Amino acid sequence: MRLLLVEDHVPLADELLAGLGRQGYAVDWLADGRDAAYQGATEPYDLIILDLGLPGKPGLEVLREWRAAGLATPVLILTARGSWAERIDGLKAGADDYLTKPFHPEELQLRIQALLRRAHGMANQPCLEAAGLQLDEARQCVSQRGREIDLTAAEFRLLRYFMLHPGQILSKSHLAEHLYDGESERDSNVIEVHVNHLRRKLGREVIETRRGQGYRFHGVAG
Amino acid sequence: MSSIQRRLSFGLLGVLLVVGLIVAQGSLWLADLGLRRYLEGSLRYDTESLLAAMVRGPQGIQLDEQRLMASYQRPFSGHYFRIDFDSQSWRSRSLWDHELPAPGQTGLQKALGDGPDGQLLLVYRVDYRRFGQPIRITVARDYSPALNSLRGFQWLMLGVGGGALLLILFLQRLIVRRALLPLERTRQQIEQLEEGQRTVLDSSVPLELEPLVRQINHLLTHTEETLKRSRNALGNLGHALKTPLAVLLSLAERDELKAHPELHESLRQQLAFIEQRLGRELGRARLAGEPLPGAYFNCDEELPGLFETLAMIHNRGLQLDWQAPLGLRLPYDREDLLELLGNLLDNACKWARRRVRLSIEVDEGGYRLLVDDDGPGVNAEQREEILCRGTRLDEQVAGHGLGLGIVRDIVESWRGRLLLQDSPLGGLQVRVELPRDLSRSRRAGQ
Repeated sequence: MRLLLVEDHVPLADELLAGLGRQGYAVDWLADGRDAAYQGATEPYDLIILDLGLPGKPGLEVLREWRAAGLATPVLILTARGSWAERIDGLKAGADDYLTKPFHPEELQLRIQALLRRAHGMANQPCLEAAGLQLDEARQCVSQRGREIDLTAAEFRLLRYFMLHPGQILSKSHLAEHLYDGESERDSNVIEVHVNHLRRKLGREVIETRRGQGYRFHGVAG
Repeated sequence: MSSIQRRLSFGLLGVLLVVGLIVAQGSLWLADLGLRRYLEGSLRYDTESLLAAMVRGPQGIQLDEQRLMASYQRPFSGHYFRIDFDSQSWRSRSLWDHELPAPGQTGLQKALGDGPDGQLLLVYRVDYRRFGQPIRITVARDYSPALNSLRGFQWLMLGVGGGALLLILFLQRLIVRRALLPLERTRQQIEQLEEGQRTVLDSSVPLELEPLVRQINHLLTHTEETLKRSRNALGNLGHALKTPLAVLLSLAERDELKAHPELHESLRQQLAFIEQRLGRELGRARLAGEPLPGAYFNCDEELPGLFETLAMIHNRGLQLDWQAPLGLRLPYDREDLLELLGNLLDNACKWARRRVRLSIEVDEGGYRLLVDDDGPGVNAEQREEILCRGTRLDEQVAGHGLGLGIVRDIVESWRGRLLLQDSPLGGLQVRVELPRDLSRSRRAGQ
């Protein structure tokens, strides 16, 4: 999962980057509204966390621009402005959720998980479930038919992405774009290695290889 | 209608009455005077004729009957004379048995003398000398017909004057009403302003009203902008304080601190306290408070947005609905009312099983906002406690506490009432009663 964090307060951004990184998200960070308006619309993010009080361009305006340009990425607004009137304005501008500062880190984590599930048509699930697998995002492990399997951080990231896109053909470059932030070296061979690790832990049939096209997640039941 | 109208009517009535009476009485007096002057000349001529009729006859001086006017012979004809000379006194036959007293001085007498048959006489006396002796001639003429016609004229004037007065008053009323129409229109607009039906006064008014309307409009925009500025400043302050607080909250969850449970717990508590206090005070400072003229909340425009936001926040298949009279505009600040409804509905959504309902009702006395849920409800003993908890910051519990605190502040600033009741849906009903016309109740309260 690749996230864009737009926040101009550096200490908070540092905290959020560290926390989100621990939860297996690849995060790009921007502090200026104008940069965010451009990069948010061009890079393939899975979710955007947007502060409203930004230098360069106000957050609400950035959001309106994205929506006007047809960007469908879920946007979580993170702001100190917590009045109901402002929340409603945020929603009308096209936000998908609204979290007011100060917030507990777990609260943000839960909101991000819920928003990602909702964006992939899996609303109202307490944890991520797909094709016979249950992913515990807090503990970063997966249950298969009641059996708990530990995952490495990289395996967890990859499996979460597969589970959010069941049945879809995902190319290696697509996966690389969504699993690594803009500054990481993208090596598609690494993905191949992690796919093989997952197959070894969960069974060969879980991930199908489509030659020349990419991978498809079937799960154990499918 | 306005007292300006009444005052103008009274003023005009007074002036017209005084002037009318003076003019009417004066013209009567002048007519009377003119008539007497004219008759004086005629009477003088009569005396001269009488003098000429006196001739020396065989028995001394006598009156030549031939040369006398016929009316002196007919009784009560209205023409009379009396001639005094040499201890003799002649009277016209027309006097019959009435004695015409000789006036004390010559010329036209000011007072009218009594005549025969109830007549009032204009009496004129001249002293001559003829045949070597003084002759005093007094003539009189009946003035009653003139007086009668003058009195008739007086009544006529009274009638015509009264009619004219009524007509003038009626026309003046029409004119004044027309002239005051813009004032009345402005008054109605100010009423609409208080009820939130409009935001500015119409500036196309007569020259005299223009500065007033301009100043009121200026004040309205000024208050609105001040409120906006102060809200913006509070927003910035909140942003400046809450962002570092978010960093601190995040830092407090670090594993290094979790290794020292006491330190961790104390830090958490203090941060939570700052967070609550900050939220409450900033929230309170944002309130517009007492409804401003021109402020309004359009239910049909605002409520859908609020409910979409709630549905987004409480994304668990709740059935949220609202009902309000079509096109209802509440005369309260938009942000305040959104804050009030947002907090109440948010609480209801937290506790509801399936349904949350907002109903807004209007009647003569005011507005009623009802928030119902089908959650577990609150029993009677706890209700008072929940309402009080909003005011005691240190006892606040996330959920009912903070939200209701700000709700209480808003309702109190509007002089309304906040009640907790059983809901027909099975859970809790929060009932907010707001008086309709604040300014009127404020005036009555003084």
